[in-house]
Amino acid sequence: MDLKGSIPDLWKAIYNTGDLHHCFNCSTCISGCPASFGDPPLLVRNLARKVILGLEEELLNDDTPWACVSCSKCEEMCPMDVKPFEMILSIRQWQSANDETRVPPSIVEIYKRGYTQAVGVNTELRDSLGLPELMTITKNPEQLQMFREMLMKTPVVSANDYMFGG
Amino acid sequence: MELCLFLGCNTPAIRPDVERAIRASMPVLGIDLVDADNYVCCPAFGAFPSTDTDSWLATSGWNLSIAEQKGCDIVVQCGSCYSSLRMGREHIMHHPDKKDRVNELLEPTGRRVEGTSKVRHVSEVLYKEIGPETIAGQIKKSLKGMNGVVQYPCHTLFPSEVVGFEDSARAPKGMRQLVEALGANVNSYSRELQCCGGAGGFMKSTPEQAIEFAKSKFDAILAETQTDFIAVSCITCLMHMENVQNTLNKRVGEERYKIPVFDYNQLLALCLGFEAKQVASITNVSRDSVLSRIA
Repeated sequence: MDLKGSIPDLWKAIYNTGDLHHCFNCSTCISGCPASFGDPPLLVRNLARKVILGLEEELLNDDTPWACVSCSKCEEMCPMDVKPFEMILSIRQWQSANDETRVPPSIVEIYKRGYTQAVGVNTELRDSLGLPELMTITKNPEQLQMFREMLMKTPVVSANDYMFGG
Repeated sequence: MELCLFLGCNTPAIRPDVERAIRASMPVLGIDLVDADNYVCCPAFGAFPSTDTDSWLATSGWNLSIAEQKGCDIVVQCGSCYSSLRMGREHIMHHPDKKDRVNELLEPTGRRVEGTSKVRHVSEVLYKEIGPETIAGQIKKSLKGMNGVVQYPCHTLFPSEVVGFEDSARAPKGMRQLVEALGANVNSYSRELQCCGGAGGFMKSTPEQAIEFAKSKFDAILAETQTDFIAVSCITCLMHMENVQNTLNKRVGEERYKIPVFDYNQLLALCLGFEAKQVASITNVSRDSVLSRIA
């Protein structure tokens, strides 16, 4: 492995916790991981190693953290309490902060209508099932505006405000 | 007992019959549900939790504050919503600096989060609050004579210290006891605790492998059990375990994978006497073989 250009303190920018350094590469995080069957596989242990070693370019270009199913079995089973799922989220956050192409489109949907799906518009179907009309935020312009203004004060939304219609 | 119903996105938008089943069955068992008006995305792990802590926890705080204003705990069916809300609450409760920041962001919206409302999964409310014995005593019809397998929602098991309610996350019992309370015989199998694989980016980024992963689970069910149905308690498990069976059938060129999948509250509502066309009508895998035998 070529460690030239590695950034020893990179872990502080990505996952600033002493827990990370307890990792001894045992692979428990991989053995119960659905996405470890992917191609390329999500190998949580390897990601921990890349963060500790400070391999910035490799980490920026790594798609595998996004394959995580969020089942959190790694979080349960890790014998060293590295909290691997939190590390996965932290790597995604660091990628999103440093590469706008990583920003998940779902946050634009949520900003626009409050949800990832079109909640509350299937009124005919809901009626036929005997369900009440939902008081969604999409139907409440005042609340939706406050929600958007709140999000606009947070780092990734404000840094990429062009994605959200200004 | 009053609980604030957090519906999430997929249930009300794609599978509102599950919502109907929850709204129908819970009050019969003494749980009054109040709506979380103006709630927003939980937020999904692939959304704000993947961009920054501020937007993640502010969104969690927005939702938690709704239940706090109503003075009750939250109840959730979707596994991802449950885990996201609990993890969000955990961060807010255990880090005063994060709580301060969330309340600073919430303040102009007239909201505030204190942590007074807990987040509960519907299967936990059924298992721990109501209990299998009470359920068995309330049902008017049963699943007697049928075999079932259960799918535990990963998000209710791991990490157990944040989301758990089972005595052991490695040997959970809730879903089994809840299905047995409806009169069915629950079969065990080797891959019972294997994740459905439907959440997050796995299925989107490497569908071939995700489908093979699911196949290993279904092949184990077919080889090792006599099951008539699968009982789940998570909207992602429900949708994925149906959809993937249809995908697998196209692959193998025969109708090999056709096990009906039900959300637990659907089975419960059916046994409480509610009609299938209202509480269990939306599906991609025919449920007739089970519906015709509920008596």
